[in-house]
Amino acid sequence: MKRMLIVMLAAVVMLPVMAQEVEVVSRQRLLEGVEGPAYYPVLDNAGERLLFTTEGGALKLHDFADGVTTVVTQDYVAGRDACFGRDGKVYFVTQSVGEDHLVYRTGQCYDAKTRKANVVTPTRHGAMRAVPAEQGDAAWTEGSRVHVTVGGEERVFSPVDSWAGYLWASLSPDGQRVAFFAAGKGIVVIDLRGQVVAMLGNYEMPCWYNNNYIVAQNAKDDGHQFTSSQLLLLKADGTWQTELTKPASMTMQPTCGGGKIVYTTIDGLLYEMEINIYE
Amino acid sequence: MKKSLLQLSMMALLAVFTVNVVSAQQPHVYINPGHGGYDSDDRNMVIYPFTQGDSAGSWESKSNLRKGLALKEILEKKGYKTSISRVTNTTADDLALSTIVALCNQSGADVFYSIHSNATGTSAVNNFPMVFYRGYTGSPQVANADVLAADLEPYLYASQNTVWTHNYQIWGDWSFRPEWGTQGYGVLRGNRAVANLSEGSFHDYIPEAYRLLSFYYCWMEGWNISLGADKYFNRLDNFGQGVVTGNVRDDRIKRLQENPQPFIVYGDDNLMPIHDATVRLLDAGGNEVQRCVTDTLRNGIYVFKYVNPGTYTVEVSSPKHFTQTAQVTVSANAPTYQNFFLKRVRDTPPVVVDYSPVWHEGDPAVKCSTPITLTFNWDMDDETTCNAFRLDPPVEGTFEWQDSYYRLVFTPTDAFDVNTLYTLTLDKSAEHGGGTPMEEDFVMQFYTQKRNHLEELAVFPYEGAQVHYKTPTVELRVDSMLDTYNLFQRLRVLDSEGTELAWNKRSIKYNKKGDDYGYIRVPLVKDIEPGKDYHLILDVDIADTAGIHLPAARDIVFQGVDAGADKPGMEVVEGFESTDGFSVMVDPITYYTGSEITASTDRLFGNKSLQFDYEFDFDVETGRSQGFKFDEAPVVKFSRGDTLCIHVWGDMSYNIPSVILLSTPYDGYSYVWPIELGEINFHGWRYLEIPLDLPADSTFQLYGFTIRLYHPLMGKNGGTIKFDNLLKKASSGVDEARLANMQLTVNDDYIVVSADTWVQGLELLDINGRNVKAAGGNCLNVADVEPGIYLVRVHINGRTTTQKVAIK
Repeated sequence: MKRMLIVMLAAVVMLPVMAQEVEVVSRQRLLEGVEGPAYYPVLDNAGERLLFTTEGGALKLHDFADGVTTVVTQDYVAGRDACFGRDGKVYFVTQSVGEDHLVYRTGQCYDAKTRKANVVTPTRHGAMRAVPAEQGDAAWTEGSRVHVTVGGEERVFSPVDSWAGYLWASLSPDGQRVAFFAAGKGIVVIDLRGQVVAMLGNYEMPCWYNNNYIVAQNAKDDGHQFTSSQLLLLKADGTWQTELTKPASMTMQPTCGGGKIVYTTIDGLLYEMEINIYE
Repeated sequence: MKKSLLQLSMMALLAVFTVNVVSAQQPHVYINPGHGGYDSDDRNMVIYPFTQGDSAGSWESKSNLRKGLALKEILEKKGYKTSISRVTNTTADDLALSTIVALCNQSGADVFYSIHSNATGTSAVNNFPMVFYRGYTGSPQVANADVLAADLEPYLYASQNTVWTHNYQIWGDWSFRPEWGTQGYGVLRGNRAVANLSEGSFHDYIPEAYRLLSFYYCWMEGWNISLGADKYFNRLDNFGQGVVTGNVRDDRIKRLQENPQPFIVYGDDNLMPIHDATVRLLDAGGNEVQRCVTDTLRNGIYVFKYVNPGTYTVEVSSPKHFTQTAQVTVSANAPTYQNFFLKRVRDTPPVVVDYSPVWHEGDPAVKCSTPITLTFNWDMDDETTCNAFRLDPPVEGTFEWQDSYYRLVFTPTDAFDVNTLYTLTLDKSAEHGGGTPMEEDFVMQFYTQKRNHLEELAVFPYEGAQVHYKTPTVELRVDSMLDTYNLFQRLRVLDSEGTELAWNKRSIKYNKKGDDYGYIRVPLVKDIEPGKDYHLILDVDIADTAGIHLPAARDIVFQGVDAGADKPGMEVVEGFESTDGFSVMVDPITYYTGSEITASTDRLFGNKSLQFDYEFDFDVETGRSQGFKFDEAPVVKFSRGDTLCIHVWGDMSYNIPSVILLSTPYDGYSYVWPIELGEINFHGWRYLEIPLDLPADSTFQLYGFTIRLYHPLMGKNGGTIKFDNLLKKASSGVDEARLANMQLTVNDDYIVVSADTWVQGLELLDINGRNVKAAGGNCLNVADVEPGIYLVRVHINGRTTTQKVAIK
């Protein structure tokens, strides 16, 4: 009798999980025939504009409304951590190698209206990254620490051990949680007090699809090259996950905004995906 | 160095820049020691005494980490800022490629070194350093990545701790791996630092795999990479200490081949690395500055780290070797390489402790191919020992040292003579490696057997053979069972340009115990080309199971032909498309029918050929010939001067097939006229043309075919023969006998032939074609021949002509 009760309870607990489904509503190539291979896509929060990097290294901005694509900068590395500011401008870092062979980096801001870039952080030697902020709230990583700034207050957390460090931190749309990647551990979701909410698995590049779901990359390699790569949809509380693409699809580098998911492939084909989540 | 700084941009609350400031001139190096763990993708080289998966053995993941940690230590000592992607070797350290790149980018490093070792992944064995950067060679995606590689490679290649097989290489990964397009190596893709991936050496070169087990060796690669960084950042003058390093080996003892499979070694790697050698660094006053001990992992590497510039003495001692010293000069921020080759301590004179063959009077004789082996108590000196070696009677041969000069093997160039008593004297002048001679001569004797060479019974293709081009079969037959080990390396077919043709090894046939002779029979994989010459090479090393080899190597030239080529202007008499119309001949005495006719799809023309499988009946003499006949003779007739042409498939049975013709009746008789087609000394199809020397006043039709035992050893088991298109080439009308103005006269006692040219001989045949009598010259005595109708075959001008005669 006791065993039967346990089984019944387990079934009840499982039901909501089993009932969850995702429907891929649409999936279409972006900029087909217009752009060559494109990597490191970044959507703005509304999903109206897209940053990407060409194989030659140029950082470009595409506006879905008018279909116009403009070049933000030709700097080869600028697209790696470029982001949108709340003012609609594009923030990015350029770099150059000095005569002393040190790498010097400069923070810049691009205004799509004027099509001009301005230096906002002077050139200096060392690490420099642009981090998206919303009403001054932001999250970013440095070494094995995640920095969270909310309402002007910066908090620094190291909730899980990770020798190599943390990466890819972002605030949830409602600003209540932070997802980041801890090398060797995977994706971690914490609240604003630094408490671990969930460990979502050893996936990379998490981006918030909405307040409850995260899209991430699951890539495997042989030490030299990628051998598989797919996109996963993860529930932020760690209770559920599903495949959005197959491992052999070699899909990677997801970005989310305005209900859209944009990603690229190993050979630089940009796709836009729309999904419905039934709970 | 200031810690992380959150710098709000001018437009606060819109986006922020994080800035991690390092001192203005402090280079920041990101170190990626490859993937971690002891898993299937972590490149485990299985080397003795370690087994597969043993974490104490050779793993690229482990040696990469040691190099990386060494580089981190050295760079920090030199004033660099460093970051590293792992500090342990666990599966959890298997960071994804995109993670490693992102970590490097986030760190803001100036340069990125991904540290690896290489493997050919094939049977080829190489050892040289390589460095890659992202992009095409000469056109890096991130500026200066090619400069960073060019600054690094000379320092890696300068290492004298290893043995290089080739010069170093620098590649853009897109050029090196064009099949990957522009994907390139994963840790270079998207990397913002000036990035290199180095393959410091090849870990599938076995001596290198042992070296990579050495902490010292890995540390030195870290040191050399640091010099590349110093060169790149123009900091070579910033560090005031150097290193002394080297390899300790025996001066003549060979490295042991301890792995299950023999491995290739180059140069000084042939010599035994010395374990547990104590290496001391002494200053000018003889004071010990540093000391280290070589490990027991078969590499002999030592290192003195961070040595102040100056002149030192390096002293190496080992319990079994004489101590050796060398003076070295250490420069700031530079390696000083000093290798040692130690002499063993040998404290007794050399003696022969074992030898073979061991033979005493009355023992069985020794095989003529037996090498002489002498085993010593010490490693011997090559020159004095070989000079002291005397055989009586003298024999040419070669010396081979084994077991690091402990064992000397003398192999005669040919074989020893048969039935001969040999005396070997090793004069006492033979010295061991330390220069001490033997105290007395060593003498041994042996007596040889009566057989000293392998006898070739038959070979196909033979010299000058015309070989049908379709995947020819090669066969060698010898007088005893062949040793089949590595036989393919000793039996080769080359085309006219010397390219070796591949065997179809799945179809190979070898001799087996109980066979009458030794053989190997194997077809080629591909066709040869008609009209081209080929060489069948039989190496002298082809030997039987007793080690008796061929008397000499052979180079047999043969030619490819198309036996099924068109023969225009000829009449097809029989196409052999079906078994219908043929019957096996039954022995009139025993009614033996050990033969069978079938249709074969292996043909040259049409859809089928005719196959005749036969076995001989040894109970009666007639049973040693088998045959089949036409149920109804083809209508085409043959006359003197015609040529019978036929396509025959042979199995190298050495039996002799004949075409049987039957004459139209003459005086109530019909002659049986056998035309021999020659020995079946070949494999595959062959086209034969037989000029018909038929009686002038008769015509003949086909009757059948026979095959008779000719070679009692190779043909006795019967065989298979196939026939395809039998053709007739009509007579040209020119009669050799007429050209010679021949006249044949028969009197009571003699047949006499006269002609304008030399008559070589006469044969008298009965009406069944059997030889009754023959004689050289132009006269044949027939006084004792029964009266009757006969045929006379006259050999004239190298041709033959036949006439009917009546002897009364």
